Amino acid sequence: MSKQTKMGILGLLLVLPSFLVLFVIVVLPIALSFKESLTNASGGYDLSNYIYLFTNKLMRSNIIFTLEVTIISVLLILAISYALAVYMRFNNGAVVQWIRRLYMIPMFIPGVIATYGLIQLLGNHGWAARILYQFGIESFPRIIFDMKGIIIANLWFNIPFTTMLLGSALSAVPNSVIESAKDVGAGTIQIFFKFILPLTYKTLLVGATFAFMGVIGSFTAPFLLGPNAPQMLGVSMEQVFGVFQQKQLAAALAFFTFLLCSIMGFFYIREMIKDEGVKA
Amino acid sequence: MDIQLSIQKLTKRYKTGDGVSDISLDVQKGELITLLGPSGCGKTTVLRSIGGFLEPDSGDILIENKSVLKAPPEKRPTAMVFQSYNLWPHMTVFDNLAFGLKIRKMKKSEIDQAISEVLKLIRLSGSEQKFPGQLSGGQQQRVAVARALLLKPAVLLLDEPFSALDAKLRHEMREELREIQSNTGLTMVFVTHDQEEALSISDRIVVMNKGHIEQVASPQEIYDEPKTLFAAQFIGKMNFLKGVVTNGRVMIAQLAFPNSKNLSGNVTLAIRPEDVQLFDGEEAGLPGTIKHIMVLGHYAEVSIDLQGHGIIRSFRPRDQVNDLRTGQHVKVNFAKTLVFPTV
Repeated sequence: MSKQTKMGILGLLLVLPSFLVLFVIVVLPIALSFKESLTNASGGYDLSNYIYLFTNKLMRSNIIFTLEVTIISVLLILAISYALAVYMRFNNGAVVQWIRRLYMIPMFIPGVIATYGLIQLLGNHGWAARILYQFGIESFPRIIFDMKGIIIANLWFNIPFTTMLLGSALSAVPNSVIESAKDVGAGTIQIFFKFILPLTYKTLLVGATFAFMGVIGSFTAPFLLGPNAPQMLGVSMEQVFGVFQQKQLAAALAFFTFLLCSIMGFFYIREMIKDEGVKA
Repeated sequence: MDIQLSIQKLTKRYKTGDGVSDISLDVQKGELITLLGPSGCGKTTVLRSIGGFLEPDSGDILIENKSVLKAPPEKRPTAMVFQSYNLWPHMTVFDNLAFGLKIRKMKKSEIDQAISEVLKLIRLSGSEQKFPGQLSGGQQQRVAVARALLLKPAVLLLDEPFSALDAKLRHEMREELREIQSNTGLTMVFVTHDQEEALSISDRIVVMNKGHIEQVASPQEIYDEPKTLFAAQFIGKMNFLKGVVTNGRVMIAQLAFPNSKNLSGNVTLAIRPEDVQLFDGEEAGLPGTIKHIMVLGHYAEVSIDLQGHGIIRSFRPRDQVNDLRTGQHVKVNFAKTLVFPTV
């Protein structure tokens, strides 16, 4: 056996454990869910579960609600995180020091506790409502058991990590790039849109992918803070599976959620490949 | 001649204590002036203050007789070539070059023509669509120079632009820069810590040390007549011997040397290695013993122990060291000496 063949076999053996783990915990469940989702009430295979998903009024509103919450959440997460990261990158002083100390705190608070805290704070008779009442403001908007509550929770859970990601990307943009842009006459807005944003948009895409997948598949916050109807797909899936015992429909919901995440993943991978192509 | 750049009593102090104090300098139109000094001497501080990247504590900077002190970098009539090239990695060579021109609202056809001409000048025609990562270090630096040239600045600032290049490329780039300067007639302020670089490209050199100017003169003058002990030490190779002024002459052992500055007390005598003469006759000279002979291509460096007066080096043509050997007793005298107060 030649040395090259031996090295090839060794390489495969080294890759095999991680491939097997990936196969067992990712590929296999997806394949089984897909098979399950195609199973109809009489035990045969067809697209009836998917047809139900898109024709049933409640299911359709759940999908639209999920997409609305996800898109609004992701856009807000990216906007707030990017603003925080840019502020921390290009400023110094006490405010920046405080932001640096505080912005990671949500990552260390368990989801259920944070959600409970939000209910206490933003509920109809929560602290915020009571404080405002003291100032004569008697009407308090419905935040908990509404889309707004889920979005606020998503911001709480996702901003720290996304800010950390973007902060690291922004710190990789050298001051010299900005100085040389200023040197040729670029103003603040041009520097942002022509240099800072293009040099960090890939990380922005990574942040968007992580936030999208985290939000679309979230359960705790939508379950505790969301309305009864429509529901986020995670909560709906639990209900279809646990309460209505419709295993096949739950599998179709799960596979559809996976497809949505795959679309996001596709754009992310495509950009990465494009980048590799340019470097090569 | 017109003064293109005037630095007046510029002072900038950092918390660490470094910085520059009371720097004044006039640069003529079309001149290539080099700020030369060791790390931390303040040369980059002066350059960055001219470019607007640093705000001085006091003093003024005038370009074409107008103060630019209040103008931000983007509004100053300067362009800078940075040490690390600073090409924008996400833009092609064309976009890197065109960016500044687009900001100046130049027509597309004019931009195309200007870029085509400048790429020809830096011998990189055909590289318009390449990304900086696809160019070598020397090519990237040429593009960085071209980007600055395209803006037609009143003063071009160059911050150690060749320090990241290898020795051969550095040498080539110096020649190219000098050629570009003579073709364009641009006023250039060049920062380097490399004395050879400064001597080879400058019209005048500003020797800086510890935040102040030691000397401003032509390369030849700085080499032949350094004003201060630091300038003598920093530019070229130099031997130093301790002497005492007696009866108006500098004495080392029994030998007398000229006291051109009329100093008194303890002094330091500076002698270029090429001015150190070796002989073995009866003439007056400092006695010494040859410690090493190093042949360095077309010349040789001979180290001589002056018996209690230190070791000095002499540069000799290679054919003149054939008769010399290590341990040989010789006499030493100097064709030219410079005298400085001992610090």
